[in-house]
Amino acid sequence: MTQGSAAAPAASLVEVTGLEKSFGGQPVLRGVDLTVEAGTATVLLGPSGSGKTTVLRALNVLETPDRGRVRIGEARVDFSALPRDKGSRRREIKALRACSGMVFQSHHLFPHMTVLGNLIEGPIQVQGRPRDQAVADARVLLEQVGLGGREDAYPAQLSGGQQQRVGIARALALKPQVLLLDEPTSALDPELVGEVLGVIRDLAAEGWTLLIVTHEVRFARDVADQVLFLDQGVIAERGGPEVLTDPREERTRRFLARVLEAG
Amino acid sequence: MFLLLLVALALLSAPTQGASAASAAPRPVVRVGTEGTYPPFSYADPKTGDLTGFDIEVIRAVAQRAGWDLRFTKGTFDSLFPALDAGRVDLLADQITINPDRSAHYLFTTPYTYSHGVIVTAAGNHDITTLADLEGRSAAQSETSNWTQVAKDAGAKIQYVDGLDQAAALLAQGRVDATVNDNIAVLDYLATSGSTKIKIAGNAGNAVSKQAFVFRKSDAALRDQANQALATLADDGTLARISQKYFKSDVTVPNAGKVEVKASDTGRSTWQVVKDTAWPMLRGALKGTIPLTIVSFLCGLVIALAVALARMSSYGVLRVPARVYISIIRGTPLLVQLFIVFYGLPEIGVKLPSFLAACLALSLNVGGYAAEVIRASILGVPRGQFEAATTIGMDYWQSMRRIVLPQAARIAVPPLSNTLLSLVKDTSLASIVLVTELFREAQVAAAVSTRTMALYCVAALYYWVICYLVSLGQHALEKRVGRFAT
Repeated sequence: MTQGSAAAPAASLVEVTGLEKSFGGQPVLRGVDLTVEAGTATVLLGPSGSGKTTVLRALNVLETPDRGRVRIGEARVDFSALPRDKGSRRREIKALRACSGMVFQSHHLFPHMTVLGNLIEGPIQVQGRPRDQAVADARVLLEQVGLGGREDAYPAQLSGGQQQRVGIARALALKPQVLLLDEPTSALDPELVGEVLGVIRDLAAEGWTLLIVTHEVRFARDVADQVLFLDQGVIAERGGPEVLTDPREERTRRFLARVLEAG
Repeated sequence: MFLLLLVALALLSAPTQGASAASAAPRPVVRVGTEGTYPPFSYADPKTGDLTGFDIEVIRAVAQRAGWDLRFTKGTFDSLFPALDAGRVDLLADQITINPDRSAHYLFTTPYTYSHGVIVTAAGNHDITTLADLEGRSAAQSETSNWTQVAKDAGAKIQYVDGLDQAAALLAQGRVDATVNDNIAVLDYLATSGSTKIKIAGNAGNAVSKQAFVFRKSDAALRDQANQALATLADDGTLARISQKYFKSDVTVPNAGKVEVKASDTGRSTWQVVKDTAWPMLRGALKGTIPLTIVSFLCGLVIALAVALARMSSYGVLRVPARVYISIIRGTPLLVQLFIVFYGLPEIGVKLPSFLAACLALSLNVGGYAAEVIRASILGVPRGQFEAATTIGMDYWQSMRRIVLPQAARIAVPPLSNTLLSLVKDTSLASIVLVTELFREAQVAAAVSTRTMALYCVAALYYWVICYLVSLGQHALEKRVGRFAT
């Protein structure tokens, strides 16, 4: 399942340039540049407050960056020069959002809908797909995340790990070009982390394009094609998975030592 | 939707248009304002529940002579003049005493009752026998009654009440020192209640007071017709006959002999009174309280949702009016809101029938309170839900409708049930805008039977039953909207 086939072969699937964002005068992102190739997994690491989550949330405009450009596939938004009129601005942002799916740290499943309802909500209500087709696709996805047969359960009836796997399936149901995962295991009990990481590993193996914020260094080593180390709002180091074993930068080294010690 | 409902209701309860057309139609409809709780002048017949009394019989005789069709509207005394001003009734038949102040603003017919005022005190009170003794004492009076002015002029401190039966209760309980009222009305009360706790302590001055029907200044033609009819009825002895029936003397001419009043309501046990009143009160609940509650609550919820969303809008043009609206509704008494809608709006040309006016005022009131409940409930839905809806591509309205509001509904059920329960009881205020609902029926029955305690307990029981049913509904609804939570 190769994603982003519509993009020109030479171009990356995701391209972010000069991203800046402040909260109440406090700069959080200070010029972030990154690219993600189609079909690869990119891991975003960094100390808390370094801006990892903000980068992710800028890609689907849950936070509106102050400056910079974001392109996913053929959708692009230049936050330094947003259209004046609200209608076109909304259209641009909507088109960009449609390219990505999001998995939240604390799943944010819709508690008033069943597992199946969560999965088909977007395809039916937003993408206007026929119900039986959306249901069939959702069942395949549920099998894939190991939750076949649980489609009529409500989120509150599931364990934390199951909930997060439904969260992943819900994001995939929209067939996004890139899947954004914001610390998908941080809110889980330790014994439930494995099942969720397993599902993500499978996705990487199937060729989904993934952008993952995580503290799980060992897991990152396994799946990452690209590692980005973010510190104080800029990317301090980037490279292949070897960054995790043999970082060039001192601050990356210190961070990894701390995390591995704690983990 | 709200407007549609209003229009539909307006059509259903289309008001009988008034009597300013005295010249046009062969039989004009004349709307009469009266208390219905002022025996023996205007009260509900204890056996049939129909409106009757001295004033009612006189105005019926006048209407027959003048060729009018009558429509009676019952309201507390203090609501009668506002109703006349607002064009909701065309004349008042309620022992309205002629005085200079009223004569300046209204048109009176020739008098059909000559009486005098008396001072009433508790039986054991021997300090008060003349008006001069009222100086510095407390007196229970209806706000707009001429007897109130008499008591005020004598230097009494006024405690405002709705009618003579309330004043008598306060006297018997020792909460006030006196009340000044019409001789005949007091005699009737004494005869009916058999009360030995209060007594007539003396005359309120020597002046004879004259009572007449009263019209708006603009209805001179109607007033003249009434005067002609009254003159004929005096000549042919009809007035005297009606007076004899009620008072064993002719009070329709000056210097009547001794007035005797037989009780308007005799010999019924308290249990009988309660049994006789049970159905009228239930009818008041079914035709007044319950429909008022349902219509006002539904309209109020629609208003509340719109206002809550406006209040949270990023547009100032929506946010500011919503805040102002909520602030006004929550910052002013419901009673004042009712008066403004019912008696104030007609002055700018918006004249709604009673039921509709009450619905409008109550809906607006519910809207203001429920808006804040709904806003809090929406804010109570975790922000992540909105974000999750956004990331699956929903716009504002889709997120609201599909994701946020269904969850907010669950949070809102208990507090909105409170709003609904308050509303059930607030509908009793509609009696002051002439809607005959449960509480008004209790007042009517209490006035004629004087069994205040028993009747208000029954009214309370009815309210309690309605509210109990509402709370059962609340539990069922909570289960339903909360089925996804474990």
